[in-house]
Amino acid sequence: MTRELKFESPDFGRRIKGMLGVDFYRLFHTPLFYIFLAIAAIIPAMVSAMTMMPAPDGSASTPLYSNVWQIVASADSLYVVRSIADYANMNMVFIFGGIMVSIFIGHDYKSGYVKQLFTTHAKKQDYMISKTLVCAFAMAAMCVTYLIGGTVGGLLVGYDTAVDPLALVLAILGKMVMSLGWASLYTFLNVIFRKYFGISIASSFFFGTGILIIGAAAVVESLSLPTFFLNIFLYGSSVNASLASTPLTLIICIAVSALWTAVYNLLGTKLLSSCDVY
Amino acid sequence: MNAIEIKGLSKNFGPKQAVCGLDMTVPMGAIYGFIGENGSGKSTTEKMICGLIPKSGGSIRLYGRDNTDGAVRARLGVLIESPGCFPSLTVFDNMMLQAANLNIKDAEKEVIKVLKKVRMEGAAGNKYKNCSLGMKQRVGIAMALLGDPTLLVLDEPLNGLDADGMRIMREVFLDIIKDGTRSIVVSSHLLGELQKVATHYGIIRHGKMLVEMTAEELDASCRTYLALRAEDMRRAEMLLGCRYSRVERDEADYLRVYDLVAPEDIVTYLYENQITVTELRTDKIGLEEYYTDLMNGGKR
Repeated sequence: MTRELKFESPDFGRRIKGMLGVDFYRLFHTPLFYIFLAIAAIIPAMVSAMTMMPAPDGSASTPLYSNVWQIVASADSLYVVRSIADYANMNMVFIFGGIMVSIFIGHDYKSGYVKQLFTTHAKKQDYMISKTLVCAFAMAAMCVTYLIGGTVGGLLVGYDTAVDPLALVLAILGKMVMSLGWASLYTFLNVIFRKYFGISIASSFFFGTGILIIGAAAVVESLSLPTFFLNIFLYGSSVNASLASTPLTLIICIAVSALWTAVYNLLGTKLLSSCDVY
Repeated sequence: MNAIEIKGLSKNFGPKQAVCGLDMTVPMGAIYGFIGENGSGKSTTEKMICGLIPKSGGSIRLYGRDNTDGAVRARLGVLIESPGCFPSLTVFDNMMLQAANLNIKDAEKEVIKVLKKVRMEGAAGNKYKNCSLGMKQRVGIAMALLGDPTLLVLDEPLNGLDADGMRIMREVFLDIIKDGTRSIVVSSHLLGELQKVATHYGIIRHGKMLVEMTAEELDASCRTYLALRAEDMRRAEMLLGCRYSRVERDEADYLRVYDLVAPEDIVTYLYENQITVTELRTDKIGLEEYYTDLMNGGKR
């Protein structure tokens, strides 16, 4: 008895559906995602509460924020972080997200499941696209829990609530859109350091805290160059989404996020195609 | 058309050549026993077949298509080195992941069907990390079987399996190839088990194919010998050693005479020397001995 053999090339949609199916199934069936959602909610609430506590000597502390929404975004667009308040806003999600992405992708390699993925998916771009999209979704979801945690914490300690609603929405959307660009960067970093779990986490943290762009911003500022130029970077664009955001801010965020996603996905695909994937 | 056709395959890891100019042919409907010492290049070759590592040279064709072709790769089932499963997920969840990866319709039904095939349906709810080595191996094989693959590449699939597990796997393998189109490449160090199912063999050494043969060819090249036990084994060994060109005592304490000789001649000869033969049978050397001899540079 001999049956007829049929080989059908799966189209892009079918391939991505398979990869996304795996990644979303894993995301929702392991505690990692839920732990990071909780972290993203608890940290801003704690930051709000702790900065209103009296100092150890009993003297009244200086509040970190003047407005509850500053825990979401800074009052104005900025490129050089001078105080913790400038930094302690929704951009923290990109740090938590980086660590989450490292663990998520690291386990692909640690468990050996990546063998199954790369055997049945000949095209390496499938892996990059799927990881980027799923991790971007996870980070965007963390932005939502961050917003809830930060707002509740800020309201409980009695911060002022006055805000331009449109600018606030644009800032939140801008940061959520930036999740895609950040996820693509972290996916790329984790593909580079796929055999070194610790280094991949450290690199995600290093990039997530914006250390590189802070240095670049300092140079730009000291040379009196236009800081707007920094918007083309992930961090620059992320901190550009402020409580003074305009529709242009959101457009910049979308363009930057899409551009960096394309670049990192291309680099990651090239790297995976030319080296041992397992 | 062959299931796998490899020509001049090579792989370098820096200055080290892991596979050098390997040729390999796996016909359709074959269970191909891929044999070699540790570090001989088996796993590297299998990884190249599956596209997990790029080749340095040569060509790999699967069912007439290049192995980078998405259509043929989507029909591959693999178990290389270890089952790729997430420890904190259940066996069922791990299987569902693979079902999602392969876009299998009616995934739950298919997963349960395959788990039943390897007798793991009762452990579907167990966390993978809590499974025994044998159970993990069965899950790995079940994962490779999902999606009705045309070609299975299994690296040491029999490791850790108990006698029942090995019997089940033999049944599964034979069931897969019965339609004459699907093929299985199995690398294993359990040569006795492999010999029970393999239809073809490839023996690799230092990254080169030493010999490829069918099970029939192996059978023909494995010579017959006489195995006997006598009352005085030491004297019998000495006497037979003087009379015949190749006499050895095996692990089971039988004397083996490889020369072409009639059994009654041996019995008579030993009887004349006051030695009674208590047991005598003719036998053939197996794959394991054939392989050992080949590795030692000679052929029986």
